[in-house]
Amino acid sequence: MTVPFRKRLRLVCLLALCAAGLSLLLSCQHARGGAVGSRKLIILGIDGLDPDLLTKFMAEGKMPNFARLAEQGSFRRLTTSIPPQSPVAWSNLITGMNAGGHGIFDFIHRDPKTFQLYFSTSRVEGPKHSFHVGSWVIPLGSGTAEQLRHGKAFWEILDEQSVPNYVYRIPANFPPIAAKGKTLSGMGTPDLRGTYGTFTFYTDDPTAAVGAVEGGEVVQVEVKNNRVATNLIGPDNTFRKNSPPSTEPFTVDVDPLESVARIGLQDQQFVLKEGEWSGWVPVEFQLMPIFGNMIGNVKGICRFYLKQTHPRFQLYVSPINIDPANPALPISTPSSYSRDLAKQIGEFHTQGIAEDTKALTVGVLDDKEYLEQAHTVLAEHRRAFDAEFPKFHQGLFFFYFSSLDLNGHMMWRLTDPQHPAYNPALAAQYGTALEEFYEQIDQVLGEVMPKVDDNTTLLVLSDHGFAPYRHSFNLNTWLLNNGYITRKAGASGDASEPFSDVDWSRTRAYGLGLNGLYLNVRGREREGIVESGAQADALLQEIRQKLLEVRDPKDGSQVITRIDLASEAYQGPYARTGPDALVGYNRGYRAGWKTILGAFPADVLEDNTNAWSGDHCMDFTKVPGVLLSNRKIEAQAPALTDIAPTILSEFGIAKTKDMMGQSVFQPR
Amino acid sequence: MAGYAVAIAAFKLFLLTSPLAIVVVVSLVVGLLMVVLFGYTSDQKAIGIAKDQLKAHLLAVRLYRDQIPVVMGSYGKILRGTGRYLKLAFKPLLYVIIPITLLMVQIDRYLGATPLPPNAPFLLTVHTTGSDALNDVTLDLPPEITMTAPPVHVPAGNEIVWRLAGSKEGKYEVKIAAAGQSAAKAVCVGSDLARISTVRLRGQFWERMFSSAEPALPENSPIESISINYPDRNIEIAGYGMNWIWLFFILSMVAGFIFKELLGIQI
Repeated sequence: MTVPFRKRLRLVCLLALCAAGLSLLLSCQHARGGAVGSRKLIILGIDGLDPDLLTKFMAEGKMPNFARLAEQGSFRRLTTSIPPQSPVAWSNLITGMNAGGHGIFDFIHRDPKTFQLYFSTSRVEGPKHSFHVGSWVIPLGSGTAEQLRHGKAFWEILDEQSVPNYVYRIPANFPPIAAKGKTLSGMGTPDLRGTYGTFTFYTDDPTAAVGAVEGGEVVQVEVKNNRVATNLIGPDNTFRKNSPPSTEPFTVDVDPLESVARIGLQDQQFVLKEGEWSGWVPVEFQLMPIFGNMIGNVKGICRFYLKQTHPRFQLYVSPINIDPANPALPISTPSSYSRDLAKQIGEFHTQGIAEDTKALTVGVLDDKEYLEQAHTVLAEHRRAFDAEFPKFHQGLFFFYFSSLDLNGHMMWRLTDPQHPAYNPALAAQYGTALEEFYEQIDQVLGEVMPKVDDNTTLLVLSDHGFAPYRHSFNLNTWLLNNGYITRKAGASGDASEPFSDVDWSRTRAYGLGLNGLYLNVRGREREGIVESGAQADALLQEIRQKLLEVRDPKDGSQVITRIDLASEAYQGPYARTGPDALVGYNRGYRAGWKTILGAFPADVLEDNTNAWSGDHCMDFTKVPGVLLSNRKIEAQAPALTDIAPTILSEFGIAKTKDMMGQSVFQPR
Repeated sequence: MAGYAVAIAAFKLFLLTSPLAIVVVVSLVVGLLMVVLFGYTSDQKAIGIAKDQLKAHLLAVRLYRDQIPVVMGSYGKILRGTGRYLKLAFKPLLYVIIPITLLMVQIDRYLGATPLPPNAPFLLTVHTTGSDALNDVTLDLPPEITMTAPPVHVPAGNEIVWRLAGSKEGKYEVKIAAAGQSAAKAVCVGSDLARISTVRLRGQFWERMFSSAEPALPENSPIESISINYPDRNIEIAGYGMNWIWLFFILSMVAGFIFKELLGIQI
């Protein structure tokens, strides 16, 4: 009995020693983290918060918390990116580099060899190899989702230094890079169909234009015996030959007299009155029978809006978002985080651009309906904020809001009597809508400020400001009219494919994306004819000179105020992989929707009567963002590229050699 | 002592209100009962012999795998032995399955669905014998339940659907009248564990037994069924929700195998 007892005693002693050692190790680790993380940094990233509007609303007493922060701390204009587009701007902020370093130049990039266009920030691909069995495709391996932004994100560096961090919906982070902290992907996250958002509109109106519309699809249905039987359109089914879209049937039973209907989808039923939105409705697309549950089914969530029951049936279904509770693609770190957040606050938009601006643009939703949807998005962000902010005790807390940007785009026309899309009646109804979003953001700041102590730095910033978008400039039409583009004989009107009818053997330059101007360079483009070097430089100078001379015939305004050459504007390994020059439009002007995808509308300048009426994809000096802090900002002209060094500096971490800026709190 | 009593009371409360605790306890008890009942109602000696013979034949297959006639003969005996074993197990299994099925039906009343959350919309669907009856159907609600949308008449399905919401936790009755007949349907609003009946049916004895916890609707009523779409209850295990039946199935099987060994009962 003695020996086993001694053995047991030795074992107990050994375990006690191990436990003591482990707790010592943990406490040391904690102390180290504590030293680095004794400071707290809160960043509110407000996309599109405009310094002029902010100043106006502060002066009018509508943003008291911002006014207090500006008064007690600092308020600066923040130099935005070239070009001032959100994916580029946020990538500047994330990496501390410009587009030459992170490789994001626009929303859209092109493959110079094939002229295939693709989303600049991520690429989602199916499996590389597969074999066919009848009409079925059996994949060999799994697909991939790849982030295309280069450079180290500031939270990666914080992770390396054991600084706790939380990053909510920062743009240009899909799929989210590996991180120790909680992150949720934001702008750039696709819907379940792999697009930036595709709604579906069901109607029995025989005059409706059926088929694909900008940002959506119109489906003709028949109301038979007060019932509509149709399909929800899901992701392309890569298990089938030619990848047709997957569908799930659903029914709508319309009351014969009342404006109300019951919708049945899979095992769910709900009733909507006319003019009412559903909550989030989960849907599972079966891509493969029998084995679908194991390998093929994908889950999404969508919302229904019953626009009209009688005399015409009209039903809007939102883009099908990736279900945060069962994500079909990676959208968070850890991967369980989106599920945990959904449990806390309910299902939420996961699509990067959550506000359905396209549905308003094409008239499927009206202003009231669009604003209801946009308010839902902000309410979700605020619920997430209210759930997460109280948990923040050390390190970095970054939280992103999209509302001022998307609603700035859509509601500008109702604040601007000079805008071609201005409508006095609508302005009377919804003219303060944008202001109300600003006020809500002020309320968020009001929640944050009481938690800011001496040990906390608060930064409130935006990636760019805003300006009216009254007129479209069709760059490709201008290039065509000025002999830089030649179309094939017989080509006229708009081509269905980008540049499909361009004679590349006689084309020297082309426009692509919101600000991009490219030369047709030999060796780079498939049929390039311009020699790089002196010939290219001279051509760029020539086009620059001519573009700067373009005047609006209506009032003589300068249309383009700045052209930045990539060779001057960008530094880094990717500096020459994007556009050769960036077109900086004057306030009031922007590239037309068709020209950015390589089409040739008839007129060089057009009035913008679209609901998308405010913008920022212009001369970067004309649309600066904002930077506010509770501390004194030493930099007189801080830039987005200063933010990453500032974040690191707050935790005593030196900036990396690639980072261009420096801490905004550092005297210069 | 007071602290101990409080802890015991808290534990009891946990057992009474936690669906997970209920499933675990019920699974353990059912596992034990299954084994005991099987032991009492089966011919343990015959089952033991049948299993021993099966093992012997399986061993023969392994030992004489180079002698095809022996292997084939053993396979035949394994088949016959399996049949004999199943025959011996059939009667006791019947004794076990019937009460357990009835027990599961009762447990499902509590664990299959959750009460309706306050202020959340739910659907009350009335199915009638014909579409003509739809226009006669009226609904009488208690003050705590409100209608949040006009009813949807679905003539093609002989249905009328109301969207309702309960403002306060509690058990209520809504009254549905049609063709001079009136019927009530229980509505449970709240968050506690409660006995829930998702549907009230006319006739359909077996369906009623398995899915309804309310008396049958009158035979001469034009109303065939009254149902409420209560949310399914999921029991959370390691962050994943599942229906209680799956958990019950796994746990009661595990418990059964453990108790079988402890009690020395042949299954």
